[in-house]
Amino acid sequence: MTKYEIVIGLETHVELATDSKIFCSCGGHSSANEPNDCVCPACCGMPGMLPVTNKKVVELAMRAGLLLNCNINRYATFDKKSYYYPDLPCSYQITQWFHPICTNGSVEIKTKNGTRTIGIKQIHMEEDAGKLVHDDWTDTSLVDFNRTSVPLIEIVSKPDFRSSDDVLAYLENLKAMLRFAGVSECEEGAMRCDVNVSIRPEGSTELGVRTEIKNMSSLASIERAIKYETARHIDALERQTEVLVQETRRWDDIKNRTFSMRNKETAADYRYFPDPNLMPIVIDDEWLDSVKASMPASAAQKAEEYKGYGIADKDVEMLTAERNLCDLLDSVIARGCNPKDSVAWILTDCAGILRKNGQIMRNLNISGKKLARIITMVGKNEITRAAGKKVLAAVIEKDVDVDEFCRENSLNAQTDQSAILAVVTRVLDSNAAAVQDYLGGKQKAFGALVGGCMRELKGNGDPATIRSLLEQELEKRR
Amino acid sequence: MKHYITEINPNGTIAVDDTILVKEYETTAGSKILEGFVPLFSAEAVERLINAGYEISGKTNVGEFGLDLLGEFSNSGAVCDGEYLVGAAADLIAKGEIKGALSVDLNGAPRRAAAISGIDFIKPTYGTVSRYGVIPCACSGEQIGVSASNADGLKELLSVIAGHDDKDGTSLPAEKYEYSLDENVSGMKIAVIRELYDKASDGVRAGIDSFKEKLTAVGAQVEEITFSLVEAAQTAWQIALAAETCNNVSRYEGVKFGYRTPNYKNIDELYVNSRTEGMNFLSKAAILYGSDVLSKGRYNYCYDKTLKIRRVVHDAVKAVFSEYDAILAPACGETAYVPYDIKDAFSRVFAESIFTAVPNLTGIPALVTNGVQLMADVYRESVLLSIAKSAEGRE
Amino acid sequence: MNKDKLDGLQQLNELCLTEDEQTVMLDIFDRMKVFEDRMQQIDTENVEVMVHVMPMVNVLREDRREQPFTRESLLEGAPEHTEDSWQVPRLVR
Repeated sequence: MTKYEIVIGLETHVELATDSKIFCSCGGHSSANEPNDCVCPACCGMPGMLPVTNKKVVELAMRAGLLLNCNINRYATFDKKSYYYPDLPCSYQITQWFHPICTNGSVEIKTKNGTRTIGIKQIHMEEDAGKLVHDDWTDTSLVDFNRTSVPLIEIVSKPDFRSSDDVLAYLENLKAMLRFAGVSECEEGAMRCDVNVSIRPEGSTELGVRTEIKNMSSLASIERAIKYETARHIDALERQTEVLVQETRRWDDIKNRTFSMRNKETAADYRYFPDPNLMPIVIDDEWLDSVKASMPASAAQKAEEYKGYGIADKDVEMLTAERNLCDLLDSVIARGCNPKDSVAWILTDCAGILRKNGQIMRNLNISGKKLARIITMVGKNEITRAAGKKVLAAVIEKDVDVDEFCRENSLNAQTDQSAILAVVTRVLDSNAAAVQDYLGGKQKAFGALVGGCMRELKGNGDPATIRSLLEQELEKRR
Repeated sequence: MKHYITEINPNGTIAVDDTILVKEYETTAGSKILEGFVPLFSAEAVERLINAGYEISGKTNVGEFGLDLLGEFSNSGAVCDGEYLVGAAADLIAKGEIKGALSVDLNGAPRRAAAISGIDFIKPTYGTVSRYGVIPCACSGEQIGVSASNADGLKELLSVIAGHDDKDGTSLPAEKYEYSLDENVSGMKIAVIRELYDKASDGVRAGIDSFKEKLTAVGAQVEEITFSLVEAAQTAWQIALAAETCNNVSRYEGVKFGYRTPNYKNIDELYVNSRTEGMNFLSKAAILYGSDVLSKGRYNYCYDKTLKIRRVVHDAVKAVFSEYDAILAPACGETAYVPYDIKDAFSRVFAESIFTAVPNLTGIPALVTNGVQLMADVYRESVLLSIAKSAEGRE
Repeated sequence: MNKDKLDGLQQLNELCLTEDEQTVMLDIFDRMKVFEDRMQQIDTENVEVMVHVMPMVNVLREDRREQPFTRESLLEGAPEHTEDSWQVPRLVR
């Protein structure tokens, strides 16, 4: 029986992390709460407004190109692509057809079969389309333009994937890299793929008939769609179940199969032409260098750095999974905090507070300045560790001022010798049994007495002061 | 026969063509497809006039999207003076009812209208006046221009509206432009393009001849030159105009604003019937031709060639202006036009555009006065204004 | 250009011409063909395309969010709409 090789290429659309859209000043997709609350006349196709390109979009596209080892082209243009669909308000999409911003890159993926290199044909910038919601009650479709003109990059791979495992490894890698570099938030639905599938007899160099499965966003669906589609192709070749045609197909997650899309859409002639309203983008060395300089270190680079501090591998892995954790750690270290100590605060204390509130580490939003202040105060015994945790929770939940909160809640550690001495005396007086045990040689009793003092001081007593005064007073009672 | 599609203020002195947005007043570009469309902002040029204290009289009639000769195929009907077609804004100025007007020059219509009505009009250098708020057709070469009864009026209004605007990505950087009426015309060298002169009717040629005499009388030197690229420029601009128009008016499909057909059961019928009922045959012809020149099989032959010819013509025009201060040419082929069938519109407008295409294709300024057209190099509006001024009052 | 291609063009542009108009349109294509062919005679070897007549580069804006228009005002002129969306006949079933 013939063995077949699967050949897959991907076109991956990634939403960029900007505050505003690509060609108008409306808020990006993530700022929308209700349908059509981030729209302007341009977003709903009204005549008269003109597109002006968002600089950050260009710079994030350059950043993506650098991450994927692409050539950053010195000359890039925007072009118009025409087709009719109710989610496309102008009946054209502004994209890059003639001169994309990045070309010819590569990215390494690791699968259980080892490491492979996937070629990147190009990365181009474009605007997103709107969204349709189908309403059963009125038998109408409702059009929401919030997503219209949200900036995207489309990353076009070469047909270098040979299995769905390759595809998943690539997408996961892409997601992690782009998110870590601040190119995209990569939230749910912010990364969408068109998957091009074909098969050929092993050893053949010619490509088989290619079908494109449009607009996939879940990794699980992508995997199933690829498996379905390759089986369909093999059946067609082996058992002549159907004649394969180059076409666009849609994945149905419920029926678990792909469907041919309306012929009209596949037969479209998009009539690309250069957009006269948008001037070319010319990237000189100076601009490219400044974008390179502003590139955050990669996860791999950060991992090396952290291991150098003696941070455990497991912790390094957790930290470098999220850009915000690295930024936070870097910020507190820069403020003079001990790295290992700081990691414990982030991965144990912060994580605990988030978990309690039903959040994950990616949601952690605390200024490095405040966390460093807490760590420093605890380190200098100005507050106890317990008090430190209390402030930390208040900072994470309500973004309070650290010093003010400590003052208002009397968290500042008691170092006043006479006050602590009074408590120690009281505790020793009322715990005669424990005192006897200690004096009789039971070291354990000392801990209970420290605990008693701490309780009396509502957790704010400086532990070192308590210990030394306890020892001193116990000696007097020997 | 209405001069205004929407009236705004009977005491207003400046009319604004219906292809330019005025906030809160219905703006239709002379088309049924935009019926009921009320813009939420005004064009930058309108905003600047209002801020300078001018009052807008109303939205003047234009042919659908400004694509015809003089406005004859407006959804509101043609404006005529007796049996002859006139441009609405130009006619109001000629009759002394208003002081000036804003128009979009995308294929010469306001230049023709000024020539027919005997008023002045200037299409400035591309990028000097913001296109923010223009109902777009041919973005690469369309430009807001002003009309008035004389060169002083042009200078006054153009000075108000010209200058950089962040909202238009093709707006040139200069914040302000100083225009002059006093450049020394004596000693200027002016070229008459023989190919265009020969194409015009006797009446138009007589107008050019008498303007030549005026120029000679003030000491300018007038010479005839050949400029063999006029037809290529005409074809190239037709292709660019049609392609860009096809793309820009594809947004009108009955979904978001303006006209929606009552006859539909599904989205396809909604689209086809709204567009078919909402636009006239001249627009449809431009759309279909424009779509074809951009199609896969034809792009290189037509559109790519057009963009290269644009550079060839641009360079050739530069060469003329390295020797001459200005070009003198007819603004249109006839001295008067009567109403005609819309089935002939595409071919008639195309034929007339040979006189007007070069400034749209290359961005150079053009001025119409005394029924003739003058062109100069980019940024040299003052040459045109000074020539127009010097010819005033000379018979 | 022929009748079939013209049909395709009409479909692509969501337009429907009458029989009469189609005849005129075919004639327009024929007439323009003469001019297109003549235009080819101009030598454009080694000529770069010119999209923008007044060339500039890198016309960019800062990434700042502004939301000066309200949804209500944008929906006001819609032929059919709900309180928050434009409305069209149902697309897919």
